[in-house]
Amino acid sequence: MMRETYALFAREVKKTYRNYAVVIMMVVQPLMWLIFFGSSLTHLPSNLLSSLFGTSNYISYLLPGELATGMVFIGMFSSMSMIQDKRFGFLKRILVTKAPKESIFLGKVLGAASRGLIQIPVMIITALFFGVIFRTNPLYVFVWVLSLFLMGIGLASIYSIITMRSKDWQTPGVVSNLINLPLMFSSTALFPAALFPKWMQVLSSFNPISYAAAIGREALYGGQVNFVYFGYLVFFCSLFLILGFLASRRWLVAE
Amino acid sequence: MLPAPALRIHISQAPAFQDYEENQNVYINKYLIKNICFGISSHKPMPMENTITVKNLTLRYGSFVAVDNISFNVKKGEIFGLLGPNGAGKTSTIKVLTTLVPPTKGSVLIDNYDVKKEPRQVRSVMGWVASEVILDDDLQVIENLKLQASLQGLHSWEENAENMLEYFKIKETRNKKVGGLSTGMRKKLEIIMALLSEPSVIFMDEPTIGLDVGTRKMLWDLIRDIRKKHNVTIFLTTHYMEEADDLCDRIAIITKGKVVAIDTPERLKAKAGSSVISLEVTENFDTSTLKGMKFERKGNGINIHLKAGGDASFTRVLKRIDLKSVNSLRMTKPSLDNVFLNLTGSTLEEQESNKISNMNFYATLRRARG
Repeated sequence: MMRETYALFAREVKKTYRNYAVVIMMVVQPLMWLIFFGSSLTHLPSNLLSSLFGTSNYISYLLPGELATGMVFIGMFSSMSMIQDKRFGFLKRILVTKAPKESIFLGKVLGAASRGLIQIPVMIITALFFGVIFRTNPLYVFVWVLSLFLMGIGLASIYSIITMRSKDWQTPGVVSNLINLPLMFSSTALFPAALFPKWMQVLSSFNPISYAAAIGREALYGGQVNFVYFGYLVFFCSLFLILGFLASRRWLVAE
Repeated sequence: MLPAPALRIHISQAPAFQDYEENQNVYINKYLIKNICFGISSHKPMPMENTITVKNLTLRYGSFVAVDNISFNVKKGEIFGLLGPNGAGKTSTIKVLTTLVPPTKGSVLIDNYDVKKEPRQVRSVMGWVASEVILDDDLQVIENLKLQASLQGLHSWEENAENMLEYFKIKETRNKKVGGLSTGMRKKLEIIMALLSEPSVIFMDEPTIGLDVGTRKMLWDLIRDIRKKHNVTIFLTTHYMEEADDLCDRIAIITKGKVVAIDTPERLKAKAGSSVISLEVTENFDTSTLKGMKFERKGNGINIHLKAGGDASFTRVLKRIDLKSVNSLRMTKPSLDNVFLNLTGSTLEEQESNKISNMNFYATLRRARG
């Protein structure tokens, strides 16, 4: 199981880094959010910004949120590569080997989640240019990156489960529009929950993006980490991994 | 399946294997067991060694019967072809045999492992070559091989892989991305990947479909070659008559989900009719030289029907007839086309072209398959 999973994971990673278009696409989108959307509130009075976001630089607030949101979009790539493997028959090639079906699923979601980590250094360096000041230490950064990784695995699992039975190129697009935007806007990635109506506050309190964003803000600027939030992400990740294992055993079949 | 209790008796009778008796859980290579059984005089006669045993196999997609109660055996080291038009059930059959789809009814044993109960063991003793080349184009040749080795759980595969790359004359592509290789090279790589785990059987679904004549001939030679070199059984599907005729030791003809004949190409053809020598002769031809032969004459044309036996009787006829008065001579051998026509009432080409009118039916089938 371990060896097969690692081999399939390595395949995903190799394929990603050899395709510059994919790398650029994954980095550019969150970068655009950070630069353009992050700059759009620059001329709000700084005391208003501080009372809303706890910082007078909105980009500081947005950075961890946007990195968490970025992990949602990489889920889409994982389901696209699943469809691609089905269409080109590569799934069949794997299914006629001894590799357990769970390792196929696990290789995909691990590949997707680690793909999502590419954006982190680029975004942080960009944020430095926009005057973001970090107050952190390596341990907290590590916990934060790990929490993003766990969330990425959970989200990629959801996508993989949904597309496991489909062979249609359109499915990932449809699914991502149904999932990504509600997930992004009902989280505290862009704005604090205090501004939300009640029902969105409830949604936000279940939304893994909110927790990953909160951990990021604490770890990068507050110099601490709330391990209850981290625990929630561990739970989120495990839940969908288990569902993914069950689904792959049942649904991962040759067309 | 080998009868396990009986085996244990054989082993315990052999003093050299007493150690095994003490620990019955010890893994004993099944070939070893077979050899022991052959070595010691066994009480029961050992069954003929079949790599593939298909018994009453039926596969249904919803209400559509893709494979209808078929049975056949493939012997060890054989090149066995499943011949039939598109949509006859070839791919469905190979999908069951390769554990991709469980059978609806009946049993399939690959190297004595049951495809339904022991699919992982089946996968460990088989190789697979797809009809459309399926490789990862973004990875190098060696990376594809490494992936295959990892997925099959192989250790120390490298030397074997390098040797095969050299033997198949694609060593120089070792570090190249697969996407840039020619179709012939990609086919070779697929075969190397299939051979990597030293399987006892390789399944090839339409291995030469869409290939040019040169590559096809190359592939046939390669298939014959690896069978000999690796002592591997080859099971292939095809809808090319000449491929079945040229390459296969035995053929099963399948149409509409049913196997209608299984035999060697020669014997199938012998059943379909005899070879015919067509002569064009001058006025002076001495008909008495044809005495005892089965022939008909139309003006200057004579058709001599050879008895079964092929080339020997051909030379016998040539020695006897009045060759000085023969202008031209042509020999027609019965083809698998005749066989197909006799068995199914239409030629394979006709059945293929009928398929176009059945498009709607196949659209329904695809929907049913999901």
